Amino acid sequence: MSALEIRNIQKRYGDVETLKGIDIALESGEFLVLLGSSGCGKSTLLNIIAGLAEPSGGDILIGERSILSAHPKDRDIAMVFQSYALYPDMSVARNIGFGLEMRKVPAAEREKAVRDTARLLQIENLLDRKPSQLSGGQRQRVAIGRALVRNPRVFLFDEPLSNLDAKLRMEMRTELKRLHQMLKTTVVYVTHDQIEAMTLATRIAVMRDGRIEQLGTPAEIYDRPATLYVAGFVGSPPMNILDAEIVGHQVRIARSDEVLPLPRDFKRTTVSSGPVKVGIRPEALRLADFGASGARLIADVEVMELTGPELVTTATIGGQRITACLPPRTALATGSTQAFSFDEAALHLFDPESGRSLRAA
Amino acid sequence: MERQSRLFSIFVHASALLLAAVILAPVVWLFVMSISPAADLSAKPLSWWPSDIELSRYRTLLSAIENSAGAAFIAALINSLMVAGMATLAAIVVAVPAAWAVSRTPAVSWSLYAVIATYMLPPVALAVPLYMGLAYFGLLNTVFGLALVYLTILAPFTTWLLKSGFDAIPREIESAAMIDGARLDQILRLLTLPLAAPVMATSALFAFLLAWDEFFYALLFTSDLRAKTLTVAIADLAGGRVSDYGLIATAGVLAALPPVLIGLIMQRALISGLTSGGVKG
Repeated sequence: MSALEIRNIQKRYGDVETLKGIDIALESGEFLVLLGSSGCGKSTLLNIIAGLAEPSGGDILIGERSILSAHPKDRDIAMVFQSYALYPDMSVARNIGFGLEMRKVPAAEREKAVRDTARLLQIENLLDRKPSQLSGGQRQRVAIGRALVRNPRVFLFDEPLSNLDAKLRMEMRTELKRLHQMLKTTVVYVTHDQIEAMTLATRIAVMRDGRIEQLGTPAEIYDRPATLYVAGFVGSPPMNILDAEIVGHQVRIARSDEVLPLPRDFKRTTVSSGPVKVGIRPEALRLADFGASGARLIADVEVMELTGPELVTTATIGGQRITACLPPRTALATGSTQAFSFDEAALHLFDPESGRSLRAA
Repeated sequence: MERQSRLFSIFVHASALLLAAVILAPVVWLFVMSISPAADLSAKPLSWWPSDIELSRYRTLLSAIENSAGAAFIAALINSLMVAGMATLAAIVVAVPAAWAVSRTPAVSWSLYAVIATYMLPPVALAVPLYMGLAYFGLLNTVFGLALVYLTILAPFTTWLLKSGFDAIPREIESAAMIDGARLDQILRLLTLPLAAPVMATSALFAFLLAWDEFFYALLFTSDLRAKTLTVAIADLAGGRVSDYGLIATAGVLAALPPVLIGLIMQRALISGLTSGGVKG
């Protein structure tokens, strides 16, 4: 039984189509991340699930029951907002217990639930404070507590970590993962941060222009991107995309003599000749000897940036930039010509017109 | 700025003092006039400082003897309090739901601009229709009639102020409360209105002042002690055959006291309302 089912949801504002038919079915306990840049419709979709916006078409089911006609409070959901949206005049305890208070849960029971939730989030000592007396991370915990205490069927998160600084964001990310592992709740989480998506999700829906580009596990999204957009969006630094041409059973990089073997997964595709986009992740590239066999590229090293854990190297092949993430102590010289090797399986081919992957299904 | 040159800080203080002097001079002169003997006020050259402190005019205006100037003044004071109070209360009651609705539903904000259009008309253009309307309902020369007229002036103004106040309160708080199961009346009562309290206080104070100072409609629509307001009563003092400037000044000082008192009481709310609501006084 699916916990949440989104069926062909559409949203139009006048002539502008924000959502062009979204279909997702979530099993109970799944952590779905809606990933995309701003304006892709991910927050609109979340608001439609929450009942804060009305879809122009389609249906949403929670536990096999359509909820579109139900008031937000009757949908068995809880939402954590980007701005936290805490009630400024109320204490932390009342903030957390407000949902129960409105649902006329007896005071004693309510107090116990608030206390249990606060213990889970390690904010027991803050219960008497006002939101204005809390730090950003603490406010975030209260906002999560307010959602947790009601024990809803589906949790909705709208970019909950984007107002925190980098260090705190990592901490809270781990905290969210810990909570999800412990409570096994169903979550829909909106973010534009691909690291958050990769680390938290059991499944990611990469969205673009009101459509789902790809829906899959983090590993599928990373290893087998369905489109150029997904390939470029997930991963940091992003995947190298090179213009190339298929000639027979080989791929020739544009404006160079570099030739790569056509990878196995792509051999059965219909394209036998013509232009193509080649994708390869920076972290798949290794330094190699010129004489080494197997798949390799020869490029001129332009810039090297040591980030600490890795040496981000930018090189050019036939005027096209390519980035490689190498071990930090790699001996390399700017201006030198180097061979980079990689596994054949790390190679991706995309149709330059549609942007779709040419991988055989 | 951490460090300032001495010259600069002297300049800043001098500027502040000059501004204070410009603002306070008329008020101080009003007070000096009210306690100066009549001879001082008509002397040439004018004596800027009273030769003798004379408080008889305060006694005159605050005496409750029937048919005296004092009785008329006190009746006008009470009328002013009633008219301004009722109009302000009604304006807030009308403006809170209207401002909230416009703030949360931008699609209907055109209605606010339509209301502003009525503001563009000079009051004199509305005087005749209003007069006929009030006459028809038998509300001429009554405090209720005048309060009703003032409501039409105050309501658009308070709605605008309150709208900017509501705009500053994040909608997400209301969304969160809605998901938490709060009804609309609970959301407004427990969350939105307490957060808007400073702006509401600011709007109420400005509305009260506007009604308190109004003269034109009050002059047209009231004729005797039953409804005449302070502004009209003060004008009457100047209209006699012999004008006692000191008496007019005294009435001015007394008329300024209620708003000043209200302002002092609401000072804290006023300041936070002025700063947080995006309201410029």
